[in-house]
Amino acid sequence: MSNPNSTSLYESAKKIYPREIAGRFANLSKLATVSLLGLFYAVPWLMWDGRQAFLFDLPARKFYLLGLTLWPQDFPYLALLLIIAALSLFFFTALAGRLWCGFACPQTVWTEAFIWMEQFTEGTRSQRMKLDKAPWSWNKLRRKGSKQFLWVTFSLWTGFTFVGYFAPIRELSSELMNFSAGGWTVFWGVFYGFATYGNAGYMREQVCKYMCPYARFQSAMFDKDTLIISYDEERGEPRGGRKRSVNANEAGLGDCIDCTLCVQVCPTGIDIREGLQYECIACAACIDACDSVMDKMNYPRGLVRYTTEHSLQKGETQVIRPRMIVYAALLLILIGSLVTSMSMRTPIILDVIRDRNALYRELPDSIIENSYTLKLINQSNSAREFKLSVSGVEGITLDGVADTVLVSGGGVLSLPVRARAHRDNAYGIMKIDFMVEALDDDGDMRIEDSRFLGPTP
Amino acid sequence: MISEEYRGAKQWSRDKQAVFTVVWISFLCAAIGTMVFFALFDPVDLSGIFDEDLDIDRDAGYAAGFFFFWVLSFLCSAITAFLVRTAPKRDAAHRDTSD
Repeated sequence: MSNPNSTSLYESAKKIYPREIAGRFANLSKLATVSLLGLFYAVPWLMWDGRQAFLFDLPARKFYLLGLTLWPQDFPYLALLLIIAALSLFFFTALAGRLWCGFACPQTVWTEAFIWMEQFTEGTRSQRMKLDKAPWSWNKLRRKGSKQFLWVTFSLWTGFTFVGYFAPIRELSSELMNFSAGGWTVFWGVFYGFATYGNAGYMREQVCKYMCPYARFQSAMFDKDTLIISYDEERGEPRGGRKRSVNANEAGLGDCIDCTLCVQVCPTGIDIREGLQYECIACAACIDACDSVMDKMNYPRGLVRYTTEHSLQKGETQVIRPRMIVYAALLLILIGSLVTSMSMRTPIILDVIRDRNALYRELPDSIIENSYTLKLINQSNSAREFKLSVSGVEGITLDGVADTVLVSGGGVLSLPVRARAHRDNAYGIMKIDFMVEALDDDGDMRIEDSRFLGPTP
Repeated sequence: MISEEYRGAKQWSRDKQAVFTVVWISFLCAAIGTMVFFALFDPVDLSGIFDEDLDIDRDAGYAAGFFFFWVLSFLCSAITAFLVRTAPKRDAAHRDTSD
């Protein structure tokens, strides 16, 4: 613990040098960082049934999620999933405040990792400040150079892992080894790597303060029962320095010894004692700092703590409240509809495109013929046999297609077909239905309507 | 004591805030736009529209689409920020004394 007055030595500092702090929440944050980053770098390497388990294969326009294959036609599921994610964030914010910001946001997580590399190469806060002020020397060059090396390497690894979610990562890595990766692949890897480098290395919490929309509007989800980090003003004030032997009560002082450690550790540079501020990302560094001081002074911990406004005002915190019920109900409805529609999804797509070149053709024996192109997509991963039929006009038949068609797993079949009906039954514009049935046990089927044109009666 | 200078350290200037915010928010909008657009259209199908002989692969199509959306939303965002920040201040002296 350094002399609290030491900050005045660094008045001219133009950078925020957050002081490193040990404690419960710092450990929690380390755990969150290691596990979330671990997931990010490991997940693209997971395999499932001989292919990448999570692959948003943009070149092939197919998304693989474990055993599930999603097609561009399944986009509504993705949209619904994103809405659910946003609503979960609202729900979680109303309940637990900015826990997301402090522990799980990618901005926080990568910043944390970059700060570790900075500390590893440049040392503690005061060493970093001294190093920045010092003139260039071999030592400074070595420390700064190795920091940049770590940062750039880590950023590039991050960038190419990110690309590995969108193009098969195993092929990508061997292409990178042979310098044969495609131009765009390299571009996006470097692009994302550069974004990581800038965001986590330099911009850090400025992103939260100035650029993050969520940080600004999250206050709309806050109420008096939301978990926040707060300074207990009643207990702390009047603040003031004192010797450890002094009885605070007799001296007319509160528990805050005004050591300013809570300010020095704050990565956004605020003073938590001034109340809830939108810059606060709830990283809990000030709690760790204050607890360590309270321990030293033999005061109870929790002068700065996780609490709610209600609880600070000596009230009861209400976890279940109308806001929570509304968010939870909306979430349940959305999740329910996503699960239902996904489970009822048939992995067959039938598109019917009517031939626009001719209204209809008259064949001998008073037969009217219309032409169509059927696009049959087998979304499952194995080959399936299908039977096509048409209905809606009396005696209508299908010509130009075999009784059964075989479509390979994930295959698309384009079938030019003709529908024929007797003139007595076909007049004007009639609605017909094309039906495709799978000939296996699942009995999946799909019906798609179209029009059948005949002469005016 | 905490010096004000220390606490306010590395505050971004208003201009820097505006530039980075516009770049970032237009990036997010472009990402959403690209996602929706290419869920509906395959770049390979689209390439024939502009020029029969134009033969671009999907990667290039996605990139072109993304940058198109980014430039578009950047312009929209930047002009809005510019107009809001340079709007004439309400002339309080004139209005408040009139009634």
